[in-house]
Amino acid sequence: MTLSANERARYQRHLSLREIGAEGQEKLKAARVLIVGAGGLGSPAALYLAAAGCGTLGLVDFDRVDVSNLQRQVLFDTAALEQPKAEAGRARLAALNPEIRVVAHALELKAANVRALLADYDLVVDGSDRLSTRYLVNDACVLLGRPLISAAIHRFEGQLATYVPGRGPCYRCLFPQAADGMVANCAEAGVLGVLPGVLGTLQATEAIKLITGVGTPLVGRLLTYDALELRFQEFRVERRRDCAVCGEAPTITEPRDPPAPGPQAAPDGVRRLTPRALQALLAPGAGATPPLIDVREPWEYDTGHLPEAVNIPLGELPQRMAEIPRAAGAVFICRSGGRSMRACLLALQAGVASPANLEGGMTAWAGEVDPTMPVA
Amino acid sequence: MSCTVRIASPLHSYTAGASRVEGRGATLAEVLGDLEQRFPGIRFRMIDEQDRIRPHMRLFINSQEARELTTPVRGGDTVHVICALSGG
Repeated sequence: MTLSANERARYQRHLSLREIGAEGQEKLKAARVLIVGAGGLGSPAALYLAAAGCGTLGLVDFDRVDVSNLQRQVLFDTAALEQPKAEAGRARLAALNPEIRVVAHALELKAANVRALLADYDLVVDGSDRLSTRYLVNDACVLLGRPLISAAIHRFEGQLATYVPGRGPCYRCLFPQAADGMVANCAEAGVLGVLPGVLGTLQATEAIKLITGVGTPLVGRLLTYDALELRFQEFRVERRRDCAVCGEAPTITEPRDPPAPGPQAAPDGVRRLTPRALQALLAPGAGATPPLIDVREPWEYDTGHLPEAVNIPLGELPQRMAEIPRAAGAVFICRSGGRSMRACLLALQAGVASPANLEGGMTAWAGEVDPTMPVA
Repeated sequence: MSCTVRIASPLHSYTAGASRVEGRGATLAEVLGDLEQRFPGIRFRMIDEQDRIRPHMRLFINSQEARELTTPVRGGDTVHVICALSGG
C-alpha cells in the first residue's frame, strides 16, 4: 500500500524514524483497528491512531455524549452533546485525518455480533467500561486470533496489558472471572480526567508497535500506573493451563453473553428488592419500616436520598456495622446496586439476618418510582 | 517479618485511603490475617469462603504472582493486591 504525496507530507516525522519509515507507515495505512468503547481510553487512543495514519479505524459505542463525559473524553466537544458517540467520534477523526477511513459502529457488542464485527479488523483496542464486555472481547479475540490491547482505569489508578493469542496469556488468564457490580465503575467511584489520557495513549503506542513490528510489546506483563504517586509497576503474568478460553481444555468455544440477572444471581442469604417492592414496604400501614442504609458517598447522599435512609458509606461499613440492627432485615442502597450488594455481603458476614439489596439502586428508584428524585 | 502491602484502589475504603500499608507475617495467609485485624472486612474482598483468591483479585509478591496463600513472604518484600478494573 504505497503512500500518496499528501500522506508523505503528513507523516513526515514518522518517515524520519528509521524504525518506522515508509515501510512502517504503509503497514499503518493497511491496518484495521477496532476501538471498543469511545470513552476516556478510546478517545486518546482513537485520536492518536487516526493522527498516526492507521488506515481503517472502527469505533464501537452505543452511548450518547453526556456532559459528564467531557471532563476526560477528549474525542468530543460541547457541540457534540447528546450525539451518538460512535458518529460524533467518526466526524472528529475524519476532520483530524481525511486520509483514513473511520467506521462508526453505534451498537452494543453482544455474543451475536462480536465475531462478525471483529472479522473485519486485525487488532482490537479495548477501553470499554464493563467487565462483561471485556470478557466478551477477550474471548472473541482468542477464538479469532486477534491481538487485544486492553486497559482499565479506576480513580487514580490504571492497568494495561497486551494479549496476543498463542504468544502469551489472555485477559482470563489474569482475571479468570469477574462480574460487574463486584468492582466500582467510574460513575460510582470517580476518575481523574487525565488518567485515561495516559493509559489510552499507551494503548495507541502498543497498537502502532504491533502493526509496525517495532519494539517489545507488553505481552505476558501487566503494567499498572498510580497517578498519585506517579509510579508505574510491572508484573509478570503467566498463561494459565486451565484458562477457560485459551487453556488446554477450553470450556468457552464461542463468545457468550453474561447470564441475565435473575434471582439466582444473588448470593445465598441476600434478598433482592425491586424499587416497587421497596415502595410497598415503605407504604403507610405496611408494618415496621426496615432500616434503610444508603452506602453511597456523602456527596451522593446529599444530592438526594430516601427520607428514611441513614448514610453509612461502604468504606466505613465494616467499622460501623454495630449501628445496623441484626434481625430487622436491613435494606442496602447505592446508586446502581453494585456497592449495596457488596454491603449486603459484608452485613451477612457480620451476622445481619437476610439483608436486602435495592436492585438498580437509586437510579432505578428514580426511573420506576419517583422521577423527581435527584441522583448524583 | 515486616513487608509492604500495596492496596488496589477499589479497596482503599478499608485502609482509610492508604494505598500502602505495612504487613506482618511469614506467608501470604499470615500477612492477610494481619491486615484483617487492622482493616476488618478487607480479607473477604480478596479471599473467598474456601480460602481461594477471588478470581477478580490477583496477589503478587514483588513482580511474581502468588497463587497460593502458603507462598512465603520475606522481610522487605512488597505484596501487591491487584483488582480487575472495569472503568474505561
